[in-house]
Amino acid sequence: MDLSRDIEWVLTHLDDLAYRTVQHLWLTILAVFIGFLISFALAVVAVRRRRSYGPLLAVSDLLYTIPSLAIFAALISVTGISLLTVLIPLVIYTLVIFVRNIAAGFDSVSADVIEAADGLGYSSRTRLWRVEVPLALPLIIAGVRLATVSTIGLVTVTAVLGDSFGGLGFFILEGYRRSFPVELYIGATLSIGLALLADYSLARLQRRLTPWSTTAVVAKGALEPPLGAAP
Amino acid sequence: MANALDVEFRHVSRRYGTVEAVHDLSLSVPAGKICVLVGPSGCGKTTTLKMVNRLIEPTGGQILIGGKDVTSQDPITLRRSIGYVIQQVGLMPHMTVADNVAVVPRLLGWDAKRIAERSDELLQLVGLEPGAYRDRYPAQLSGGERQRVGVARALAADPPVMLMDEPFGAVDPIVRDRLQNELLRLQEDLAKTILFVTHDIDEAIKMGDLIAVMQVGGFLAQFGPPAEILSNPSSEFVARFVGADRGLKRLSLRRVAELELQPPVSVRVGEPAETARGRLGEGELGYVLLVDDGDRPIGWLNSDSIPESGTLTEAMSESMSPTFSTRSTLKDALSQMLDADVMIGIVVDRNERVLGLVTVEQIAAALRETRATAA
Repeated sequence: MDLSRDIEWVLTHLDDLAYRTVQHLWLTILAVFIGFLISFALAVVAVRRRRSYGPLLAVSDLLYTIPSLAIFAALISVTGISLLTVLIPLVIYTLVIFVRNIAAGFDSVSADVIEAADGLGYSSRTRLWRVEVPLALPLIIAGVRLATVSTIGLVTVTAVLGDSFGGLGFFILEGYRRSFPVELYIGATLSIGLALLADYSLARLQRRLTPWSTTAVVAKGALEPPLGAAP
Repeated sequence: MANALDVEFRHVSRRYGTVEAVHDLSLSVPAGKICVLVGPSGCGKTTTLKMVNRLIEPTGGQILIGGKDVTSQDPITLRRSIGYVIQQVGLMPHMTVADNVAVVPRLLGWDAKRIAERSDELLQLVGLEPGAYRDRYPAQLSGGERQRVGVARALAADPPVMLMDEPFGAVDPIVRDRLQNELLRLQEDLAKTILFVTHDIDEAIKMGDLIAVMQVGGFLAQFGPPAEILSNPSSEFVARFVGADRGLKRLSLRRVAELELQPPVSVRVGEPAETARGRLGEGELGYVLLVDDGDRPIGWLNSDSIPESGTLTEAMSESMSPTFSTRSTLKDALSQMLDADVMIGIVVDRNERVLGLVTVEQIAAALRETRATAA
């Protein structure tokens, strides 16, 4: 190990490190956002029409089993090396988390509250936005945390699509190819740091958005955030 | 205040496939009266209630509120104009007490100032100090407090009709008695038309101006004032449902207020022990009632618990009697005294101040009277 060479590499690559970190975050946010919108719509349908819930989960589970490298390889022949090729697999992998957690969130709203809301004269749309969504929020945000953390890890794999993508994965792959461990470690450490920071911030956000929930609620069928609740 | 409206059921039925939940129900509730729907589970009482605000649609017949068919009105608008209280209360866990009370005014688009004033006014009305309760979340309330918020919420937009589905079914008997008394007190001023569902015949007798006894299959077995149901059950089923102890149940028709309250012999905390000893001789009980500065009862003192000298403290009293309001029924008063294994109960006002005493003998005498008049 040549410490001065390592330090020199870091100092000469600060711009690169910043650029890749931002790219990493940007790819994560895009994938999580699109995945959330799709899943939210699907979960609303699943809760309103119970029979579609089972098949929906089965399909999203099945998609989750496809290896990411296989999807990238298959997509390259269709969409080429493009943002779309990067995003499609990332989005697909968020679905299994989101659909489960959003549907579990809606399920966690007690039947009495729904009955009272109907009896008081909420329309079904107002009930969704003013009652069901706020009450499902702890589990929905738990889903966002989980999906974000898992996507941050997965973004590194997109480095196989070439230098234009990969976020911090670029350094991991390049460090490996050049047998330059520091580059690899720094890429990996920053990716882990990003995941921890995102998880912590989202946990804080949940506390702020749901002052009425004294404890973290985890309902049946929901996936727990991996890192536990932030203080 | 919105005038109460009458509610009329005309040949209403509801079937699920081949099963009939409500069968050809016709009854009419005059404006401003409490009508209790009572019966065993599966008798269709809740289904009947939910057809009024169209949470369940009738499969036949008509329901009229103030002469207007409910099915001719938009269900959402209709529900906002009818108060609704359910057993599990169903408060919104993510809203504060004030926001819960304000649900309907907000749906109706009232302005913020009017909403805030109204929710404070309602909290006061149901006995919750607005300053202390306004900003709490439902998880921070007791069962009784939640139910009060539920009632306030139902009253928020001053609806002419209220539907209450076992509203006091989930609270303990003593809290239930208090909530029932308070609803009756409110009703004296508000005079809403209330449809009230319960499976408890004692509650029906206490709360109802009119009682509809329903039978499995959604049949109306009998409809009339409580006294008539008790003295003149129309069928074997009603007689059995009302129970063999109809004489005892008549006590639910009478209130503590009707009795001549015995003046209490009382001493106040801080008074000298000699005063208590002196008063002990005044009554025939052998006990004096210890009260605090606000005349609220603390407990009984006898010759053993009063010290030789010094001043009286709260810790000296060893036993206490149950307390009731003047609106408590004689049946509730009797059963609370029997439960506490005492012969005397204390009647208090809204601020818990002592009004007087009631004895088991007085209630027994009242029981003899009612049996004599029924015969």
